[in-house]
Amino acid sequence: MKSYFLNIFKSLRSILKGMLLTAKYAFTKKATIQYPFVKRELPTRTRGQLFCNIDDCIGCKLCAVACPVDCIYITANKKGPTEEINHTSEESGKKPRRFHLPQFDIDFTLCCWCGLCTDVCPTNCLYMTKNYEFSAEKRQQHIWQYGEGHKPGPKTEFNRPGDQLKLYVD
Amino acid sequence: MTETTLQTQELRINMGPQHPSTHGVLRVELVTDGEIVKRAIPHIGYLHRCFEKHAENIDYMGVMPFVDRMDYVASMNNDMGYAMAVEKLMQVEIPKRAEYIRVIMAELNRIASHILAIGTFGLDVGTFTPFMWCFRDRELILDIFEMTSGARLLYNYLWIGGVWMDLTPGIEEKIKEFCDYFEPKIDEIDTILSYNSIFIHRTANVGIISLDTAISYGLTGPNLRGSGKKWDLRKDEPYSVYPELEFDIPVGSGEQGTVGDCWDRYIVRVREMRESLKIVRQALKQIPEGLFRAPIRKVRPPAGEAYTKVENPRGELGFYIVSDGSLKPYRVKAKSPCFTAISCLDEVSRNEMIADVVAIIGSFDIVLGEVDR
Amino acid sequence: MTLEDIFKKLKEKFQDGVLELKIPDEKYKGDAFIMIDAKKNHAVLKYLKEEASLLFDNLLCISGVDYKDYFSVVYHLHSYTHLHKVVIKVHLQERENPKLDSAFDLWKGANWLEREIFDILGIHFSNHPDLRRILLPDDWEGYPLRKDYKTQETWHGIKVGM
Repeated sequence: MKSYFLNIFKSLRSILKGMLLTAKYAFTKKATIQYPFVKRELPTRTRGQLFCNIDDCIGCKLCAVACPVDCIYITANKKGPTEEINHTSEESGKKPRRFHLPQFDIDFTLCCWCGLCTDVCPTNCLYMTKNYEFSAEKRQQHIWQYGEGHKPGPKTEFNRPGDQLKLYVD
Repeated sequence: MTETTLQTQELRINMGPQHPSTHGVLRVELVTDGEIVKRAIPHIGYLHRCFEKHAENIDYMGVMPFVDRMDYVASMNNDMGYAMAVEKLMQVEIPKRAEYIRVIMAELNRIASHILAIGTFGLDVGTFTPFMWCFRDRELILDIFEMTSGARLLYNYLWIGGVWMDLTPGIEEKIKEFCDYFEPKIDEIDTILSYNSIFIHRTANVGIISLDTAISYGLTGPNLRGSGKKWDLRKDEPYSVYPELEFDIPVGSGEQGTVGDCWDRYIVRVREMRESLKIVRQALKQIPEGLFRAPIRKVRPPAGEAYTKVENPRGELGFYIVSDGSLKPYRVKAKSPCFTAISCLDEVSRNEMIADVVAIIGSFDIVLGEVDR
Repeated sequence: MTLEDIFKKLKEKFQDGVLELKIPDEKYKGDAFIMIDAKKNHAVLKYLKEEASLLFDNLLCISGVDYKDYFSVVYHLHSYTHLHKVVIKVHLQERENPKLDSAFDLWKGANWLEREIFDILGIHFSNHPDLRRILLPDDWEGYPLRKDYKTQETWHGIKVGM
């Protein structure tokens, strides 16, 4: 008989201890932040969307080889003997640029955000920004072009003659 | 006058691939007699992503993002297992600083993974508050990882030969702050969940696995320690810098019921979090200066094969790598601990109620990415 | 016990069933293993599990590998009582319908591991209680991890592959 009431008392005590703890939290500051009105400060090393500064690219294709899912498409045409060879910027080591780069496309439906391509780039022209809000309505708007003569952004003309690989079009 | 006849037949219920309590896409076919389960047959394969076939077409460094995605909750430990297997084949020495960074990251990830397991186990059993509190604390660990490696869940940080980049300046104070903040929170979890009488009634004496069954099925990690065996790879077959660190191994002892029930497996995880905090604090004090990556030009292991195992939060993860001397692996086999854990679901849930099956699946702490690879 | 002692003990008991002990040298790096005959597979594993001085009660992993001329099944065993481990390898020469004895009655964990090898490599295990596909759908054709595997064109009307 005594153990029956002792059991009830012990159970009620354990539940009440928990509820007192929860009641204490009702009067503390909330931990939620109201996204999209308030956004978090991202650290420097955040791996967001890739960006390529084509004026620093020397066309070595190391990034395309390192990518585990093959999402980088590059067409590099060697400059002729009479054409002028310009150089990349000061910070990247003033390397000679011997190739034309009409196509430098990245397919973000395949990219897995691993960062292996940014590690092997010898001039640091390919780096990851902090952007993570680039949703689109069509699958082909996720293929971005960074080649010479184009503004960096979603690709507008597909499968032009001379392009390295044929790409998906809706 | 009609007579109603009572028909008793077995009922086949499908606990389908979409279910809030199966921790992923797992289909369990329950054959029940009323409320009591006669057989529980798990069907897997809904998250199969052909990791082993992909690994044969990509070079060794490129397999690392794929390995992350197997057990996506404890990604640093997976990276460590694969990197150690390739380094064993290549016979390369890693700098001491890189080893210490690896241990700190792996133990922080163990805490994050156990927090998730405890929170979701509470959610399965019916409580909502511990789940929210656990995720609030987990956010702080993910912030530390984002400052170090750049990503919140799939890090690709521990590379073959060391780590990708050195620790950011100022991260060591942040980790110390987190350790001081988190220690009283484990006591709070004990108050609100572990010793709550409703939780004890739900999980004690449910899903008892005897030690012989556990060893025969090949269970490892907290599932085996919950059944009473004191076996942890970090103490019994130590690797990396674990021999220089002091910590204890919690074992289930049938405190609230029988040895090997769901409560034992759960409390082993709670107590392991305390030990992990001890390890992180010691490693931060002992970390030396030096290189963070061994100077390796090209990852090209000689022909041969090697098997390495590491202690994941869910058990022992084993990698068997066969190399033929080229730049791509010939065969990579990953032996995941959750795969063996689910295979014993049938035997453990005989003669339990349907609601107990949910508690048993939650106490195994499975992640379907690892089961299906 | 060291690996050489285990090899000597096995060679005494099963003279022709145990073929060789391979130790790492310049051409082969990594783990040492013991190669046994495919027909004596179950007997050797039973002896390894039940003999008092060996007592391999922990099955770590069973893997299947496709070398283009033959298949290979590798058992990694470990003992909790004596704290030693061993690697046992079996070669199967048939390409069409390779068969092997199941280890289910010795270690219950072998159940799902052998089902996985059947699913992706096509090796049949006799005396297995429930040998059917585990990761792939039940009506999939072919065994994907073989080196000469060609993916099927469609499955239930859905195009397979990119």
